[in-house]
Amino acid sequence: MATISLAKSLVNPALKFVLKQSHSSHLRCSVITPVSSLNIILKRHYAEKQVFERTKPHCNVGTIGHVDHGKTTLTAAITKVLADLNLAQKKGYSDIDNAPEEKARGITINVAHVEYQTEQRHYGHTDCPGHADYIKNMITGTAQMDGAILVVAATDGVMPQTREHLILAKQIGIQHVVVFINKVDAADQEMVELVEMEIRELMTEMGYDGDNIPVVKGSALCALEGKSPEIGSEAISKLLEQVDSFIPTPIRELDKPFLMPVESVHSIPGRGTVVTGRLHRGVLKKGTECEIVGHGKVMKTTVTGVEMFHKTLDEAQAGDQLGALVRAIKREQIKRGMVMAKPGTVKAHDNIEAAVYILSKEEGGRAKPFTSFIQLQMFSMTWDCATQVSIPEKEMVMPGEDATLHLRLVKPMVCETGQRFTLRLGDMTLGTGVITKINNNLSEEDRIKLLEGKKAREKSVAKK
Amino acid sequence: MIFQLVRRLHIAPVCRAADSSLLAKLRKKTGYTIANCKKALEMHNNDTDKAEAWLNDQAQAMGWAKATKLAGRSALQGLVAVKFNKNHGALVELNCETDFVAKNDKFHRMIEDATAACFKFAHTNLTSKGPVTKMELDSEQLGNLSVEGGKKLTEVLALFIGSVGENAILRRAECWKANDKDVKIAGYTHPAPATPGEYSAGKYGALLAYKQPGDTEDIGRQLCQHIVGCAPRKIGDKERDKPAKNADDEICLIYQEYLLDPSYTIEELLQQNKVEILDYVRFSCGEAMEANLPGVEKQSLDTVQTLQ
Repeated sequence: MATISLAKSLVNPALKFVLKQSHSSHLRCSVITPVSSLNIILKRHYAEKQVFERTKPHCNVGTIGHVDHGKTTLTAAITKVLADLNLAQKKGYSDIDNAPEEKARGITINVAHVEYQTEQRHYGHTDCPGHADYIKNMITGTAQMDGAILVVAATDGVMPQTREHLILAKQIGIQHVVVFINKVDAADQEMVELVEMEIRELMTEMGYDGDNIPVVKGSALCALEGKSPEIGSEAISKLLEQVDSFIPTPIRELDKPFLMPVESVHSIPGRGTVVTGRLHRGVLKKGTECEIVGHGKVMKTTVTGVEMFHKTLDEAQAGDQLGALVRAIKREQIKRGMVMAKPGTVKAHDNIEAAVYILSKEEGGRAKPFTSFIQLQMFSMTWDCATQVSIPEKEMVMPGEDATLHLRLVKPMVCETGQRFTLRLGDMTLGTGVITKINNNLSEEDRIKLLEGKKAREKSVAKK
Repeated sequence: MIFQLVRRLHIAPVCRAADSSLLAKLRKKTGYTIANCKKALEMHNNDTDKAEAWLNDQAQAMGWAKATKLAGRSALQGLVAVKFNKNHGALVELNCETDFVAKNDKFHRMIEDATAACFKFAHTNLTSKGPVTKMELDSEQLGNLSVEGGKKLTEVLALFIGSVGENAILRRAECWKANDKDVKIAGYTHPAPATPGEYSAGKYGALLAYKQPGDTEDIGRQLCQHIVGCAPRKIGDKERDKPAKNADDEICLIYQEYLLDPSYTIEELLQQNKVEILDYVRFSCGEAMEANLPGVEKQSLDTVQTLQ
């Protein structure tokens, strides 16, 4: 480590002091057990694994902005300010920059994850270098962003590509953006005011509530160096207050209506039919009305008993692996891939739109691109179903690219927006995606077309 | 203008407000960074016209300064653009640091200008040799081409770098000219635009020179799409090259399965349509190794601090 940092300081003198800082933080980690209850994601200290204490609601945020506007400095400054309050582990600039390639589900993403907490909430903080990285991040669900901090330097103001940054935020479904105007130490009052005006204007134009979006001005560098606290650490604290209050806490899975994908079905003599699976979300109690949907069927019934590890249970919570006894349904009527849920909350669909990331060859995907009308097997929850793909925006999709796809399933299956799935071809995983939109179910005519082969499709085109 | 002047006189007593509205106006009009707009106003006693003229004057120099400052940073995102007609073709790669910039209109305009310059170059400066004349341009040669209006591409690039504040590199280009009447040139980029035209830009691009008699359906575009998609390493020779055991690992164009209909190989497709492929070139954005290429300046020795 020492030699590496020596080499680094040779190359870039600006890194020097930061490295010194990170050095001392290493020392502190290894010598004294840290008092705070933080679990470090970036650097894993296996020897003294800490227990994550769930005392505050969790929220995921991310920074977006121009490469030179100080996203990384801001992230480092946030951890420093919070570390002084014993709420975070201080991260050096070099720990956050050059986002390490993370391998999640076999897909490499350039992303830096940092963790900290304020008095109110616990945060996961994401920073990616490029547009495609954020999209990949969203599709694979490594860190869903509930809100974002847009960083703009007061010296440069809104850049031509700031528009692209906001388009990205829209695209990955971020509704809450807090703006941080950085580098105010290098600008004067009227410049800062002008930047604020421009930002609000642009945000309004992009469909955000530009007039009411919180804008905090400060200097991340001052906060990091501990200089002029009124634009340094105090600005950072103010930013965090705004993030606390402006970005709402996401609804926890536990508070949603219950849903359980069916894994298997058993018939127990003298008791009835038992469906097993992992409760995806919500709470399941004995005596609850439920609906079993999928494979083109909808059945209504009542849960007469809930069991876990052969013991009866009053109430199962999201994440529990359980068996549910259902009234008046035969084993043959239920199949793996169906979904048991609160009546009226889920529906089977067969015509959906999705954002999909296609794996590159290095990630285990195919070397060749694919075109519309390819038949793939779609896997989601416990079901799988043949599906026909059409590509609305491109002529083909190359490996390593993301794309919007229209998927037509051969039979209706339980789908909802935000649900994740995998696409496979033969024995190869082609891509992974998230459902973005549910369209009206296919008509009988469409379905016949879907099942027809390529020859029939060509014939009908030729006829016209 | 007179109206503006009168208005300025009116609000002159509230000096600060007037200044900041001038700054806002100048910034909106010119799009230069706030710091520079402010400097310009200060230098010219809040005369917007003079400040603007000065800014336009300085833009080139500032662009150069910024470009020099950012020159060492790696730029592997960007676009590949193609422009072609029946006998001429140009394929250009322009790189930048983040894909955000690659989506920006200014970047698109920049690469369109560069491609147009190469396309023009393909028309004029090439001498005939064989069925197709090919010119490979590296970063430096590409930068020396001039766009409409007489500016050099490097100057346009410097202006662009000054405005987005990110490094950008004119990476490489291919200019082709068919010397024979029956030799045709086709191009394709991915993602392809909704309506095929003679210019397009994307992450991947290809140029193809082929011979095809006029009585069969033109499949140049489809072949180009196949080349972009399946990335063959060579055309392949039936006598010397053998098909690979696994069809997915095939690197010879003629043995590959046709992308748009895998039941044919390219060879069969060519026979059916009486096409003869003369040459092709494929660019994938960011594939070129930076170290081996000109255009990336090595870190100069002055910036390296010696340990004392």
